[in-house]
Amino acid sequence: MITARGLHKRYKKTVAVNELSFDVRPGVVTGFLGPNGSGKSTTMRLMLGLDHGGGETLFDGTKFGDIRRPMNDVGTLLEAKPFHPTRSARNHLRMLASANRIPTSRIDEVMEYVGLATVKRKKPKGYSLGMAQRLGLAQALLGDPGILLLDEPTNGLDPHGIHWMRDILKRLAYEGRTIFVSSHLLSEMQLMADELVVIGKGNMIFNGDVDTFVREFTQTTVIVRSPAAEAFTPVLEREGATVTTGAKGELIVADLKIDLVGHLAFNEGIELRELSEHSASLEDAFMSATGSSEEFVAIDPEKTAAPAAPAAQAAQPAQDGTDNA
Amino acid sequence: MLDALRYEWTRLWTLRSTYWLIGIGLLCALAIPLITGIAAGDQTLDTFFTAVLLNGGAMFGLPFLAVFMGIIGIFSTGHEYRHGTIQPTLTSLPQRSRLIAAKILVMSGVTVAVTVLSLVLNAAVMLAFWGEIQGLFEDPLLPSLIGYVLYVLIYMLVGQGLGLLFRGVPSALVVIFLMPLILETAIAGLAFIPALDWLEPAVKFLPFNAGSRLMILDLSDAEDLGGDMLSRWEGGAVFALFAAIIMAAAWTLFKKRDA
Repeated sequence: MITARGLHKRYKKTVAVNELSFDVRPGVVTGFLGPNGSGKSTTMRLMLGLDHGGGETLFDGTKFGDIRRPMNDVGTLLEAKPFHPTRSARNHLRMLASANRIPTSRIDEVMEYVGLATVKRKKPKGYSLGMAQRLGLAQALLGDPGILLLDEPTNGLDPHGIHWMRDILKRLAYEGRTIFVSSHLLSEMQLMADELVVIGKGNMIFNGDVDTFVREFTQTTVIVRSPAAEAFTPVLEREGATVTTGAKGELIVADLKIDLVGHLAFNEGIELRELSEHSASLEDAFMSATGSSEEFVAIDPEKTAAPAAPAAQAAQPAQDGTDNA
Repeated sequence: MLDALRYEWTRLWTLRSTYWLIGIGLLCALAIPLITGIAAGDQTLDTFFTAVLLNGGAMFGLPFLAVFMGIIGIFSTGHEYRHGTIQPTLTSLPQRSRLIAAKILVMSGVTVAVTVLSLVLNAAVMLAFWGEIQGLFEDPLLPSLIGYVLYVLIYMLVGQGLGLLFRGVPSALVVIFLMPLILETAIAGLAFIPALDWLEPAVKFLPFNAGSRLMILDLSDAEDLGGDMLSRWEGGAVFALFAAIIMAAAWTLFKKRDA
């Protein structure tokens, strides 16, 4: 069980982590979500005492710095390649094991477990990012800990590797361990996590189970396609709906049930060509929840022309015309 | 503390560079009596040349072993940041003061052992060429050799402190070589210019310059070099104080800074 209370970190004028409090329960995978730069890594570093800041984190009731031989209780993976490039993978683990009284036989065991047994005597400088992540997981599992803190462990893994990592984490959680894993990939969390801690710009956005998150941050809308869309809009708005027009001229109706939309169309004698419901995915929920709290926002390519775009745009109508013809 | 010592010992000996640097340091020091033995093995050695051959020419400038052990000292702390291993290190050993204490103890032990081993190897070569080493355990040779071991040790500690202070390798390397080889030499040279003679009283306190007094054989030459030069142990104390200040600053910052 991890108990984090009032975690706080400030860099000069910027608040990186703002009074975060949450619990991570054993037996489930808890996902730690947030856009890039939202403070996930800083929070994890605060929890482990690597960064200095406010608040307190207890691992089964004890601060990390007070745990003797902590790898036996808390396994961590924080950076993608925290290895000396010329120290063999096995020696890297041997070094960490020596500080925690972990037997050498366990090193070979975890190397086998993560699928690096054949390259355990090789230098990590030749490892791909995926192999480095596997070594990182081996490092985290070295002391057979009851708690795991993993920062973006699937970064650099191929689809097979991601599947493997997901299965392993689920299995470890099933064994009763406490798993706290950060990611910015929603699809991954949807498949992996049972509980979520979602932050944006260092602030808590959500803490609870995945289904509640989706329910709370997604809006089910009704899609209406009709040749009389313009006439139908005021009718819907009179009933309290919020109506927007989509890219293809379809009406996107919020705050009104699909049955009522159909009923209104029937009463008004409006021809419908589509009447459907659209539920947002976890990804949409994430965007909705964290959209205003992104730290670094790139220019939307759809709204901005690339430097070479004028020529491309000039050519576009002709292209469209040809297609239409 | 035992866990931290075990960690640092394993960290040190699982790096190939440790073996290379110690090996090259020993060979460089060994080359001095070997070359002299081949070239002049039939000539009698005075006390000065006996010391030179035993410590591998340390008295001519910067000892070979000090250079290589200094680099290993810088690696012991600077590598942790250069390669990001400080994170797994502190998540396996979160007590920061214990970690630094272990680094100092292990590296100090290894440095003294390697320097003494170098003296033994050089002595063995000298015995092979000259059959005997006169005055080895007598004054002034013995205190000079003890001073040599201490100089290498303090030089390594300066390197270790700089690596931790700068949280990296390149800056620490620049300082540890630039200071004794260029900066202090330049200051000592400038002190001879009449307009800058106010620098003269400070020259004897330049840390690496003061430290080199540890290895000196004939302390009476101090009179000729500008009056009141520091004694062997005073010079050593200045050098040790310099190392202590760097290490204390680095240690304090290490505890305060984010990893």
